[in-house]
Order: sequence, then structure tokens, then C-alpha cells
Amino acid sequence: MAHHTELSHHAPEEEHPTTTGINNRKLLMWVFLSSDCLFFGSLIATYMVYRGQSLVGPYPVDIIDVPITTISTFVLLCSSFAMVRALAATNEDRQGAIVVWLLLTAFLGAIFIGFQVYEFNLFREEGLRIDTNLFGSTFFTLTGFHGAHVTLGIVWLLALAWIAKKGRLGPKTALDVELAGLYWHFVDIVWIVIFTLLYLIGGFDTGPAGDPSLVPHSITGFLVLI
Amino acid sequence: MSSDPGVHESRHPTLKQYVWIAIFLFVVTFVEFVIILPEDFRGQGWTIAPLAILSAIKFGAVIFFYMHLKFDNRLLTWVFLGGLALGFAVVFALIGLFGTFTPSPRAWAEDNAIPCTFDHEYVCIEYSPTPTPLPTPTPEGGAAPTPVPAAASDSASEAATGALVGTGQDIFLTGQGEGTATGCYTCHTIAGLEGATGLLGPDLTTIGADAANRQPGVSAEDYLRQSITEPEGFVAEGVERAVPGLMLSALTGGLTDNDVDALVAFLLEQK
Repeated sequence: MAHHTELSHHAPEEEHPTTTGINNRKLLMWVFLSSDCLFFGSLIATYMVYRGQSLVGPYPVDIIDVPITTISTFVLLCSSFAMVRALAATNEDRQGAIVVWLLLTAFLGAIFIGFQVYEFNLFREEGLRIDTNLFGSTFFTLTGFHGAHVTLGIVWLLALAWIAKKGRLGPKTALDVELAGLYWHFVDIVWIVIFTLLYLIGGFDTGPAGDPSLVPHSITGFLVLI
Repeated sequence: MSSDPGVHESRHPTLKQYVWIAIFLFVVTFVEFVIILPEDFRGQGWTIAPLAILSAIKFGAVIFFYMHLKFDNRLLTWVFLGGLALGFAVVFALIGLFGTFTPSPRAWAEDNAIPCTFDHEYVCIEYSPTPTPLPTPTPEGGAAPTPVPAAASDSASEAATGALVGTGQDIFLTGQGEGTATGCYTCHTIAGLEGATGLLGPDLTTIGADAANRQPGVSAEDYLRQSITEPEGFVAEGVERAVPGLMLSALTGGLTDNDVDALVAFLLEQK
């Protein structure tokens, strides 16, 4: 019985044996996520190079609201949990649960985006636009691209929920859910890094009156991280 | 599938494990939040280490359990960690490349900013015709500029010229005369003059000799005067780092006529 489950669960791999022993779609997803590390790495580096270099305000300390963003971080973490439940439900072929967990994941992701929209609007009203200063340029570019990733993930999840509702998801097609899950969790870990760097560490940066030698701090932080 | 002995496609973690991981992630995030809760701790350098470590732990928990790298083919771990390592390399390379610029982007911007009037949407609607005084950094080393030793003169007019040259040098190095401008040294080099090592504009080491030949029919003095007061008016061709549009009259608009006279006198001496 267990053997049978194993077979059906890995049916696609049985049908298309690969030299790596890994399903090609799954390998592709990991390679993509791997390359996305470079993408976000560049944006993060840009933020850090220009950190503390803004000539005019608003500066991070003037507008960054750490408590609110901590809440939205919790929401994103919750969505990751819902995602693993969706995959578990798929593997166990609990049709109703698949839809519910997928929708819940997308819903929590949408709440996260809602927080971001609220935050961006608030920043704009307080005078920080993408062309206001180096902080605005690097902040909106980095968090904006992350938000775009989340949004794409929501669309993907909703599409999966639609397919699940039609009863087309189950142990045999669990990889469809697993790939979406990998993408979703990746977006979550990128946020873990962004939250730490831009909010917990960089969120209290002041203007020219503050410490001008902030870049060495960032380097120290990354050395520690490694 | 069984061809690779490294594959242990075991089941994913159990519900109980997932719940524990979720709780763990919540607790770590909460601890991070608590670290920066006291106002005295915020933005302190020492908080970076614990915050970085905690976020790295969360990062690891998600990729190894939620993304079940721990239970999956080892190759996937290497594929991802390889990309992650490259990502770190990119970050370090960029910080190394751009983080060592002198002056820093902010210092450069302070020297070259053109003040403007903003509307309520923070869009610059009008560039101020005269720059407001910006903090002008003193030349490197903080040493006060040493005036050119007054040449031994046997006439009053030569003494006056010597004083004018000294004033011109002060303005060149500080941007402060009767009026205020951006210090010329920021962008221009004069070999042998301490602090005058800027690399954005043309080298002015021998400008006193070159000025007469820059624009046909224009005297050295007139050429220098125009180049200071209306830099946009004429840009000599074939001169290294003479870039049209880089030097703007807004940078020098705060100088008085006397200031410009002194600068011209000083620059004519650079032969």
C-alpha cells in the first residue's frame, strides 16, 4: 500500500526518468530560485551602497514603521504555513482542504500586499517618492520587486485553487502544488532578509546629522551573516 | 528514481513538525522585534550581528523544512546554495566597488546639488537661480589653505595683484569669497596645490598658459571669466574631462564680481 502510494506520488518521475534523478520541472524551479538570489542580491547591494547617502529627507527613521511591518511579516510567515498544509492536503488527496489551504495562502499573501500598498501610500504622502532621494529609489525598487513577486505568487495560487476546485489536483499532480510552494516560500525568505536589513537594521537610519559611515556597518553585518 | 542512492524521497515533515517550525519562526521574529524595542538599541551597530544571525536561522528553517531541502535530493541543495553564494558574492562585489568611492555619494551631492523649490507633491518646479550656501567641506586634512606667498613686489599694483591671487586661491579651495560657490577643487586638479585634486573637470595646473589658446580671438582673461560665470557658454574641445553640461553656472552664480576677478587672477598664475 505504502509502495503504491509512493509510486503514484512520483508518477511523473517514473514516466520521465532523468539523469539527475530529479524531476526536470522541479530542478528548473530550484535553478530559477537560485538565480533569483542574484537578482535580489543586486538590489540589496544597491540599497546598502546608497544607505545613509540621501541628501534630503524623509530618511528611514522619519517614516519606517517597524511594528506594522512586523505584523505583515507575521502574516507572510502564516501564509507559508498555509502553503505547506495545502501541499500536504494534495498529497493526502483531501480535495476540499486543498482548495481551502490554497485560498488561505493567497488571502494571507493579499493581506501582506495590502500592508505594502498602505505603507507605500503613507510614504508617498509623507514625501518619499521613488525620485525623492537615494533611500526612496533603493527602498521602492527593492520592496516593489518583492511585492511584484508576491503578487505573481497570488495569481499562481488562485489559478491552482481554481484547478483544485475542478478536482484536478491530487497525489499524482502534487508537483504542481509543490512548485508553487517552493516559489512562495522563496518569496517568504527574501522578505525575511529584506525585513531584517531595511527595517530592523536600516529602519532607524537618520539624515546627515547621523553616522555617515554606515556602509562599513552593512559589510560587518553581512560578514556576520556568512 | 532509485538510480541515485542519495535520493531519500521520504515524506515531507509531519503536521506536528510543521506546526513547531511555524511556532519557531514566530518566536524568532518576535525576538528580533524585541531586540530593537528599546529606543537605545535602535540602529546600534551591535544589533546587526544578532539580527543577522536570527534571520539566517529563519532562512535556513524555511528552505530546509518548508521547502524540504533537508529531505530532498542533495543536488537541489547545492543548486540553491550555489546561487545563494553567488548572490552574496554579487553583494560584496558591488559594495566593494561602490562603497569605497571618495567622496561618498552624499558628499558629492552636497557639493553639486542645485537647490530647487518643491510643490506639494515634492516635484521640483523651479531651480533656484542662486544656490543657497551649502556646507562646503574643507580640503582634505582640514588644513587651512595657505595663501600664495606674496611675491616680493616693488610696486603697489604688483602687491595688489599678489593679494588678489591669494584671495582667488582661497575661493578656489573653499568656495567662500564675498559670495559662495561650490569649491572649485571639488572637480578640478591643480598639481602641487594641496586639496585641489578633483577629477570631474579639466586639470587646471597650466590653465594660465593654456587659456589664451582655448578660444580663437578671446583673451586668456576673458576666456577664464566666461568659463567661470557662464560655463555653459563655451566648452573647449579636445580638453580632457571638458564635458559640456557638467559644470553649471548655478555652481558659481553666488560669486560676486570681485570673487571672479580674484579667481581669474589666481588661475592666470597657474602656468
